[in-house]
Amino acid sequence: MKYDDPRLRELLAGEYVLGVMPPLVKARFERLMAGDAALTREVAAWADRFSPLDTTAEAVAPPSHVWRAIEQRIGAPLATRARSNAIDSILGSLGFWRGVAAASAMLAAALLVFVLLRPAEPPEAAVLAVLTDSSGTPAFIATRGQHSDQIDVAPIRTQTLAAQRSFELWAIAGGAPKPLGLVPPAIGKRLQVPASQLGSGDVVLAISLEPENGSPRAEPTGPVLFQGKVLGTLR
Amino acid sequence: MNGADALDLQLLIRRVARRDRTAFAALYRRTAPQLFAVAVRILQQQADAEDVLQECFVAVWNQAKTYDAQKGAVMTWLISILRNRAIDRRRRRAHAPDWLGSEDELETLLAGSGDDADRGAARAELLACLDELEERPRRAILLAYAYGYTHEELAQQLSAPMGTIKSWIRRALERLKRCLE
Repeated sequence: MKYDDPRLRELLAGEYVLGVMPPLVKARFERLMAGDAALTREVAAWADRFSPLDTTAEAVAPPSHVWRAIEQRIGAPLATRARSNAIDSILGSLGFWRGVAAASAMLAAALLVFVLLRPAEPPEAAVLAVLTDSSGTPAFIATRGQHSDQIDVAPIRTQTLAAQRSFELWAIAGGAPKPLGLVPPAIGKRLQVPASQLGSGDVVLAISLEPENGSPRAEPTGPVLFQGKVLGTLR
Repeated sequence: MNGADALDLQLLIRRVARRDRTAFAALYRRTAPQLFAVAVRILQQQADAEDVLQECFVAVWNQAKTYDAQKGAVMTWLISILRNRAIDRRRRRAHAPDWLGSEDELETLLAGSGDDADRGAARAELLACLDELEERPRRAILLAYAYGYTHEELAQQLSAPMGTIKSWIRRALERLKRCLE
Protein backbone atom coordinates (compact mmCIF):
# COMPACT_ATOMS: atom_id res chain seq x y z
CA MET A 1 0.00 0.00 0.00
CA LYS A 2 1.24 3.47 -0.81
CA TYR A 3 1.35 5.51 2.35
CA ASP A 4 2.41 8.75 0.70
CA ASP A 5 -0.90 9.42 -1.01
CA PRO A 6 -2.46 12.23 1.09
CA ARG A 7 -6.01 11.08 0.39
CA LEU A 8 -5.22 7.53 1.43
CA ARG A 9 -3.41 8.69 4.56
CA GLU A 10 -6.45 10.65 5.58
CA LEU A 11 -8.80 7.72 5.00
CA LEU A 12 -6.58 5.30 6.89
CA ALA A 13 -6.42 7.73 9.82
CA GLY A 14 -10.22 7.91 9.80
CA GLU A 15 -10.59 4.13 9.64
CA TYR A 16 -8.09 3.80 12.47
CA VAL A 17 -10.11 6.13 14.70
CA LEU A 18 -13.39 4.42 13.77
CA GLY A 19 -11.79 1.16 14.88
CA VAL A 20 -12.60 -0.91 11.79
CA MET A 21 -9.04 -1.96 10.90
CA PRO A 22 -8.33 -5.69 11.24
CA PRO A 23 -5.67 -6.36 13.93
CA LEU A 24 -2.71 -6.84 11.55
CA VAL A 25 -3.49 -3.74 9.51
CA LYS A 26 -3.99 -1.80 12.73
CA ALA A 27 -0.61 -2.93 14.10
CA ARG A 28 1.09 -1.94 10.85
CA PHE A 29 -0.62 1.44 10.87
CA GLU A 30 0.48 2.07 14.47
CA ARG A 31 4.10 1.31 13.56
CA LEU A 32 3.84 3.73 10.69
CA MET A 33 2.26 6.39 12.88
CA ALA A 34 5.03 6.10 15.49
CA GLY A 35 7.54 7.59 13.05
CA ASP A 36 5.21 9.98 11.25
CA ALA A 37 4.13 13.09 13.16
CA ALA A 38 1.88 14.27 10.34
CA LEU A 39 -0.05 11.00 10.39
CA THR A 40 -0.38 11.26 14.17
CA ARG A 41 -1.94 14.69 13.63
CA GLU A 42 -4.40 13.27 11.08
CA VAL A 43 -5.45 10.67 13.64
CA ALA A 44 -5.85 13.31 16.36
CA ALA A 45 -7.97 15.40 13.98
CA TRP A 46 -10.32 12.47 13.34
CA ALA A 47 -10.54 11.71 17.06
CA ASP A 48 -11.53 15.32 17.59
CA ARG A 49 -14.15 15.23 14.82
CA PHE A 50 -15.86 12.17 16.30
CA SER A 51 -15.45 13.20 19.96
CA PRO A 52 -18.97 14.71 20.28
CA LEU A 53 -20.29 11.13 20.04
CA ASP A 54 -18.42 10.14 23.22
CA THR A 55 -20.59 12.20 25.50
CA THR A 56 -23.73 10.55 24.15
CA ALA A 57 -22.84 7.56 26.35
CA GLU A 58 -24.36 8.57 29.68
CA ALA A 59 -21.62 8.90 32.31
CA VAL A 60 -21.68 6.17 34.93
CA ALA A 61 -19.41 5.96 37.98
CA PRO A 62 -17.22 2.83 37.89
CA PRO A 63 -17.20 0.64 41.03
CA SER A 64 -14.63 1.66 43.62
CA HIS A 65 -12.51 -1.48 43.29
CA VAL A 66 -11.38 -0.28 39.85
CA TRP A 67 -9.62 2.70 41.42
CA ARG A 68 -8.12 0.48 44.13
CA ALA A 69 -6.72 -1.82 41.45
CA ILE A 70 -5.26 1.14 39.54
CA GLU A 71 -3.60 2.42 42.71
CA GLN A 72 -2.03 -0.97 43.28
CA ARG A 73 -0.78 -1.24 39.72
CA ILE A 74 0.92 2.15 39.75
CA GLY A 75 2.72 1.12 42.92
CA ALA A 76 0.89 3.19 45.47
CA PRO A 77 1.73 1.95 48.95
CA LEU A 78 -1.06 -0.04 50.56
CA ALA A 79 -2.87 2.22 52.97
CA THR A 80 -1.95 1.02 56.43
CA ARG A 81 -4.67 1.89 58.81
CA ALA A 82 -4.80 1.12 62.47
CA ARG A 83 -7.36 -1.56 63.20
CA SER A 84 -9.54 0.74 65.25
CA ASN A 85 -9.74 3.19 62.36
CA ALA A 86 -10.74 0.55 59.86
CA ILE A 87 -13.31 -1.04 62.12
CA ASP A 88 -14.69 2.21 63.48
CA SER A 89 -15.09 3.50 60.01
CA ILE A 90 -17.10 0.43 59.05
CA LEU A 91 -19.35 0.31 62.06
CA GLY A 92 -19.63 4.01 62.64
CA SER A 93 -20.33 5.27 59.19
CA LEU A 94 -23.81 6.12 58.12
CA GLY A 95 -22.77 4.89 54.71
CA PHE A 96 -22.24 1.42 56.08
CA TRP A 97 -25.72 1.15 57.54
CA ARG A 98 -27.14 2.54 54.34
CA GLY A 99 -25.11 -0.15 52.64
CA VAL A 100 -26.74 -2.76 54.83
CA ALA A 101 -30.16 -1.47 53.80
CA ALA A 102 -29.13 -1.49 50.15
CA ALA A 103 -27.71 -4.98 50.57
CA SER A 104 -30.99 -6.23 51.96
CA ALA A 105 -32.78 -4.69 49.02
CA MET A 106 -30.42 -6.38 46.61
CA LEU A 107 -30.52 -9.69 48.41
CA ALA A 108 -33.20 -11.19 46.23
CA ALA A 109 -31.31 -10.30 43.06
CA ALA A 110 -28.02 -11.55 44.45
CA LEU A 111 -29.60 -14.76 45.62
CA LEU A 112 -31.09 -15.36 42.22
CA VAL A 113 -27.69 -14.86 40.57
CA PHE A 114 -26.17 -17.14 43.16
CA VAL A 115 -28.70 -19.89 42.63
CA LEU A 116 -28.30 -19.69 38.88
CA LEU A 117 -24.53 -19.83 39.06
CA ARG A 118 -24.20 -22.49 41.73
CA PRO A 119 -26.59 -25.27 40.81
CA ALA A 120 -24.60 -27.79 42.88
CA GLU A 121 -25.57 -26.00 46.09
CA PRO A 122 -28.41 -27.59 48.05
CA PRO A 123 -31.57 -25.56 47.40
CA GLU A 124 -32.03 -24.78 51.08
CA ALA A 125 -28.69 -22.90 51.24
CA ALA A 126 -29.41 -19.82 53.35
CA VAL A 127 -27.88 -16.47 52.59
CA LEU A 128 -26.14 -15.17 55.69
CA ALA A 129 -24.59 -12.00 54.37
CA VAL A 130 -24.11 -10.01 51.19
CA LEU A 131 -20.82 -8.14 51.12
CA THR A 132 -20.98 -4.97 49.09
CA ASP A 133 -18.37 -2.53 47.87
CA SER A 134 -18.39 1.11 48.89
CA SER A 135 -20.97 1.91 46.23
CA GLY A 136 -23.34 -0.71 47.64
CA THR A 137 -22.86 -3.16 44.78
CA PRO A 138 -22.99 -6.78 46.01
CA ALA A 139 -19.62 -8.47 45.47
CA PHE A 140 -19.43 -11.54 47.73
CA ILE A 141 -22.05 -13.70 49.33
CA ALA A 142 -21.90 -15.82 52.48
CA THR A 143 -24.23 -18.82 52.63
CA ARG A 144 -24.91 -21.78 54.83
CA GLY A 145 -26.82 -24.97 54.09
CA GLN A 146 -29.34 -26.01 56.76
CA HIS A 147 -27.53 -29.23 57.54
CA SER A 148 -24.04 -27.93 57.30
CA ASP A 149 -21.93 -26.26 59.91
CA GLN A 150 -19.78 -24.78 57.16
CA ILE A 151 -20.17 -21.33 55.77
CA ASP A 152 -19.28 -20.63 52.15
CA VAL A 153 -18.02 -17.21 51.10
CA ALA A 154 -17.86 -16.76 47.34
CA PRO A 155 -17.63 -13.91 44.84
CA ILE A 156 -20.81 -13.11 42.92
CA ARG A 157 -18.64 -12.20 39.97
CA THR A 158 -14.90 -12.31 39.38
CA GLN A 159 -13.08 -9.50 41.13
CA THR A 160 -9.92 -7.83 39.85
CA LEU A 161 -6.98 -8.58 42.13
CA ALA A 162 -3.39 -7.55 41.44
CA ALA A 163 -0.51 -10.01 41.60
CA GLN A 164 0.81 -10.65 45.09
CA ARG A 165 -2.33 -9.40 46.72
CA SER A 166 -5.15 -11.29 48.39
CA PHE A 167 -8.61 -10.75 49.80
CA GLU A 168 -8.80 -11.65 53.47
CA LEU A 169 -12.07 -12.27 55.26
CA TRP A 170 -12.65 -11.02 58.80
CA ALA A 171 -15.47 -11.48 61.27
CA ILE A 172 -16.07 -8.45 63.44
CA ALA A 173 -18.28 -9.05 66.45
CA GLY A 174 -17.94 -6.14 68.79
CA GLY A 175 -14.27 -6.47 69.68
CA ALA A 176 -11.24 -7.57 67.74
CA PRO A 177 -11.59 -8.73 64.13
CA LYS A 178 -11.08 -12.45 63.66
CA PRO A 179 -9.26 -13.60 60.49
CA LEU A 180 -11.24 -16.28 58.65
CA GLY A 181 -9.00 -16.95 55.66
CA LEU A 182 -8.37 -15.82 52.10
CA VAL A 183 -11.34 -15.47 49.76
CA PRO A 184 -10.71 -16.39 46.11
CA PRO A 185 -11.46 -13.56 43.65
CA ALA A 186 -12.67 -15.84 40.82
CA ILE A 187 -16.28 -16.81 40.41
CA GLY A 188 -16.95 -20.51 41.03
CA LYS A 189 -14.42 -20.64 43.87
CA ARG A 190 -15.20 -20.22 47.55
CA LEU A 191 -13.77 -20.09 51.03
CA GLN A 192 -15.21 -22.53 53.56
CA VAL A 193 -15.29 -21.50 57.20
CA PRO A 194 -16.62 -23.44 60.20
CA ALA A 195 -19.82 -21.64 61.29
CA SER A 196 -18.60 -21.59 64.86
CA GLN A 197 -15.78 -19.24 63.82
CA LEU A 198 -18.15 -16.40 63.13
CA GLY A 199 -18.94 -15.54 66.72
CA SER A 200 -22.28 -14.41 68.04
CA GLY A 201 -24.30 -11.27 68.39
CA ASP A 202 -24.09 -8.60 65.73
CA VAL A 203 -21.46 -9.84 63.33
CA VAL A 204 -20.05 -7.99 60.34
CA LEU A 205 -18.07 -9.76 57.65
CA ALA A 206 -15.39 -7.63 56.01
CA ILE A 207 -12.87 -8.29 53.25
CA SER A 208 -9.62 -6.35 53.25
CA LEU A 209 -6.89 -6.09 50.64
CA GLU A 210 -3.74 -7.79 51.91
CA PRO A 211 -0.35 -9.08 50.78
CA GLU A 212 -0.29 -12.42 48.94
CA ASN A 213 -0.55 -14.67 51.99
CA GLY A 214 -2.84 -12.52 54.04
CA SER A 215 -2.27 -9.89 56.69
CA PRO A 216 1.04 -10.34 58.53
CA ARG A 217 -0.72 -9.13 61.64
CA ALA A 218 -3.80 -10.11 63.61
CA GLU A 219 -5.78 -7.29 62.00
CA PRO A 220 -6.38 -5.88 58.53
CA THR A 221 -3.40 -3.94 57.16
CA GLY A 222 -4.98 -2.86 53.88
CA PRO A 223 -8.20 -1.04 53.07
CA VAL A 224 -11.51 -2.78 53.74
CA LEU A 225 -13.03 -3.17 50.27
CA PHE A 226 -16.20 -5.16 50.96
CA GLN A 227 -18.41 -5.59 53.97
CA GLY A 228 -21.77 -6.92 55.00
CA LYS A 229 -23.74 -7.53 58.17
CA VAL A 230 -24.63 -11.12 58.96
CA LEU A 231 -28.39 -11.26 58.64
CA GLY A 232 -30.43 -13.35 61.05
CA THR A 233 -28.99 -15.52 63.80
CA LEU A 234 -26.38 -18.19 63.49
CA ARG A 235 -27.51 -20.22 66.42
CA MET B 1 -17.16 20.00 29.21
CA ASN B 2 -16.56 23.72 28.83
CA GLY B 3 -13.40 25.69 28.16
CA ALA B 4 -12.49 26.18 31.83
CA ASP B 5 -12.88 22.46 32.50
CA ALA B 6 -10.68 21.62 29.54
CA LEU B 7 -8.00 23.95 30.89
CA ASP B 8 -8.29 22.27 34.30
CA LEU B 9 -7.68 18.90 32.70
CA GLN B 10 -4.59 20.29 30.95
CA LEU B 11 -3.21 21.40 34.32
CA LEU B 12 -4.04 18.04 35.89
CA ILE B 13 -2.37 16.04 33.14
CA ARG B 14 0.79 18.13 33.44
CA ARG B 15 0.88 17.37 37.16
CA VAL B 16 0.26 13.68 36.47
CA ALA B 17 3.27 13.74 34.11
CA ARG B 18 5.30 14.85 37.15
CA ARG B 19 4.03 11.81 39.12
CA ASP B 20 1.56 13.79 41.21
CA ARG B 21 -0.79 11.16 42.67
CA THR B 22 -3.29 13.71 43.98
CA ALA B 23 -3.68 15.14 40.49
CA PHE B 24 -4.04 11.59 39.13
CA ALA B 25 -6.85 10.84 41.59
CA ALA B 26 -8.54 14.11 40.63
CA LEU B 27 -8.20 13.28 36.93
CA TYR B 28 -9.78 9.89 37.59
CA ARG B 29 -12.68 11.39 39.51
CA ARG B 30 -13.32 13.90 36.77
CA THR B 31 -13.04 11.65 33.72
CA ALA B 32 -13.59 8.00 34.73
CA PRO B 33 -17.42 8.09 34.61
CA GLN B 34 -17.43 9.27 30.97
CA LEU B 35 -14.65 6.87 29.97
CA PHE B 36 -16.37 3.98 31.72
CA ALA B 37 -19.60 4.72 29.85
CA VAL B 38 -17.76 4.58 26.52
CA ALA B 39 -16.12 1.25 27.50
CA VAL B 40 -19.45 -0.27 28.57
CA ARG B 41 -21.03 0.83 25.29
CA ILE B 42 -18.34 -0.88 23.22
CA LEU B 43 -17.96 -4.00 25.35
CA GLN B 44 -21.60 -4.39 26.47
CA GLN B 45 -20.24 -6.08 29.56
CA GLN B 46 -19.37 -4.66 32.95
CA ALA B 47 -16.35 -6.75 34.01
CA ASP B 48 -14.48 -6.26 30.72
CA ALA B 49 -15.25 -2.55 30.81
CA GLU B 50 -13.80 -2.34 34.32
CA ASP B 51 -10.62 -4.11 33.17
CA VAL B 52 -10.24 -1.80 30.21
CA LEU B 53 -10.78 1.30 32.34
CA GLN B 54 -8.09 0.05 34.68
CA GLU B 55 -5.64 -0.59 31.80
CA CYS B 56 -6.45 2.84 30.40
CA PHE B 57 -5.58 4.71 33.59
CA VAL B 58 -2.41 2.69 34.17
CA ALA B 59 -1.40 3.69 30.63
CA VAL B 60 -2.32 7.33 31.34
CA TRP B 61 -0.13 7.30 34.45
CA ASN B 62 2.79 5.93 32.42
CA GLN B 63 2.28 8.03 29.29
CA ALA B 64 1.08 11.36 30.68
CA LYS B 65 4.35 13.00 29.67
CA THR B 66 3.71 12.13 26.04
CA TYR B 67 0.46 14.11 26.04
CA ASP B 68 0.83 17.14 23.80
CA ALA B 69 -1.78 19.90 23.93
CA GLN B 70 -1.12 20.54 20.22
CA LYS B 71 -2.65 17.18 19.44
CA GLY B 72 -6.02 17.89 20.96
CA ALA B 73 -8.07 18.08 24.13
CA VAL B 74 -7.14 15.93 27.13
CA MET B 75 -10.54 14.23 27.11
CA THR B 76 -10.14 13.28 23.45
CA TRP B 77 -6.69 11.88 24.19
CA LEU B 78 -8.06 9.83 27.11
CA ILE B 79 -10.94 8.54 24.99
CA SER B 80 -8.49 7.48 22.26
CA ILE B 81 -6.47 5.45 24.74
CA LEU B 82 -9.61 3.87 26.14
CA ARG B 83 -11.32 3.12 22.80
CA ASN B 84 -8.15 1.59 21.41
CA ARG B 85 -8.03 -0.88 24.29
CA ALA B 86 -11.77 -1.50 24.36
CA ILE B 87 -11.83 -2.31 20.66
CA ASP B 88 -8.81 -4.62 20.98
CA ARG B 89 -10.53 -6.41 23.85
CA ARG B 90 -13.73 -6.76 21.84
CA ARG B 91 -11.79 -8.27 18.91
CA ARG B 92 -10.04 -10.82 21.13
CA ARG B 93 -13.30 -12.30 22.33
CA ALA B 94 -14.24 -15.57 20.71
CA HIS B 95 -17.71 -14.22 20.05
CA ALA B 96 -18.43 -10.57 19.86
CA PRO B 97 -21.43 -9.67 21.98
CA ASP B 98 -24.70 -9.24 20.19
CA TRP B 99 -25.65 -5.66 20.14
CA LEU B 100 -28.93 -5.57 21.97
CA GLY B 101 -29.91 -2.05 21.04
CA SER B 102 -32.94 -1.28 18.96
CA GLU B 103 -32.89 0.50 15.63
CA ASP B 104 -33.99 3.61 17.48
CA GLU B 105 -31.01 3.47 19.78
CA LEU B 106 -28.73 4.86 17.10
CA GLU B 107 -31.03 7.83 16.79
CA THR B 108 -31.02 8.44 20.55
CA LEU B 109 -27.27 8.21 20.36
CA LEU B 110 -27.44 11.19 18.08
CA ALA B 111 -30.01 13.00 20.19
CA GLY B 112 -27.96 12.89 23.44
CA SER B 113 -28.27 16.20 25.22
CA GLY B 114 -25.36 18.64 25.07
CA ASP B 115 -24.33 19.69 28.58
CA ASP B 116 -22.87 23.01 27.54
CA ALA B 117 -22.53 25.39 24.67
CA ASP B 118 -18.99 24.41 23.50
CA ARG B 119 -19.78 20.73 23.23
CA GLY B 120 -23.24 21.42 21.94
CA ALA B 121 -21.99 23.40 18.96
CA ALA B 122 -19.43 20.76 17.96
CA ARG B 123 -22.03 18.04 18.31
CA ALA B 124 -24.65 19.92 16.32
CA GLU B 125 -22.11 20.37 13.53
CA LEU B 126 -21.15 16.69 13.50
CA LEU B 127 -24.78 15.61 13.60
CA ALA B 128 -25.69 17.90 10.73
CA CYS B 129 -22.88 16.38 8.66
CA LEU B 130 -23.85 12.82 9.63
CA ASP B 131 -27.38 13.68 8.57
CA GLU B 132 -26.17 14.43 5.07
CA LEU B 133 -24.95 10.86 4.65
CA GLU B 134 -27.19 8.17 3.28
CA GLU B 135 -28.96 5.99 5.81
CA ARG B 136 -26.84 2.83 5.76
CA PRO B 137 -23.40 4.46 5.48
CA ARG B 138 -24.38 6.70 8.39
CA ARG B 139 -25.36 3.70 10.48
CA ALA B 140 -22.11 1.97 9.55
CA ILE B 141 -20.13 4.94 10.87
CA LEU B 142 -22.11 5.11 14.11
CA LEU B 143 -22.05 1.37 14.78
CA ALA B 144 -18.30 1.31 14.20
CA TYR B 145 -17.46 4.34 16.33
CA ALA B 146 -19.87 3.89 19.22
CA TYR B 147 -20.16 0.09 19.38
CA GLY B 148 -16.86 -1.08 17.91
CA TYR B 149 -18.35 -3.05 15.00
CA THR B 150 -15.94 -4.77 12.61
CA HIS B 151 -16.36 -4.74 8.83
CA GLU B 152 -17.78 -8.28 9.05
CA GLU B 153 -20.30 -7.37 11.72
CA LEU B 154 -21.35 -4.31 9.77
CA ALA B 155 -21.83 -6.43 6.67
CA GLN B 156 -24.11 -8.72 8.63
CA GLN B 157 -26.02 -6.01 10.47
CA LEU B 158 -26.56 -3.87 7.38
CA SER B 159 -27.04 -6.77 4.94
CA ALA B 160 -24.39 -5.65 2.48
CA PRO B 161 -21.20 -7.27 1.14
CA MET B 162 -17.91 -6.44 2.90
CA GLY B 163 -16.60 -4.58 -0.13
CA THR B 164 -19.66 -2.35 -0.13
CA ILE B 165 -19.28 -1.65 3.59
CA LYS B 166 -15.65 -0.65 3.10
CA SER B 167 -16.44 1.76 0.30
CA TRP B 168 -19.44 3.21 2.20
CA ILE B 169 -17.14 3.96 5.10
CA ARG B 170 -14.44 5.53 2.96
CA ARG B 171 -16.92 7.70 1.09
CA ALA B 172 -18.63 8.65 4.34
CA LEU B 173 -15.29 9.65 5.87
CA GLU B 174 -14.46 11.83 2.89
CA ARG B 175 -17.85 13.53 2.97
CA LEU B 176 -17.68 14.08 6.73
CA LYS B 177 -14.24 15.65 6.47
CA ARG B 178 -15.38 18.02 3.72
CA CYS B 179 -18.57 18.87 5.56
CA LEU B 180 -16.75 19.62 8.85
CA GLU B 181 -14.08 21.82 7.30
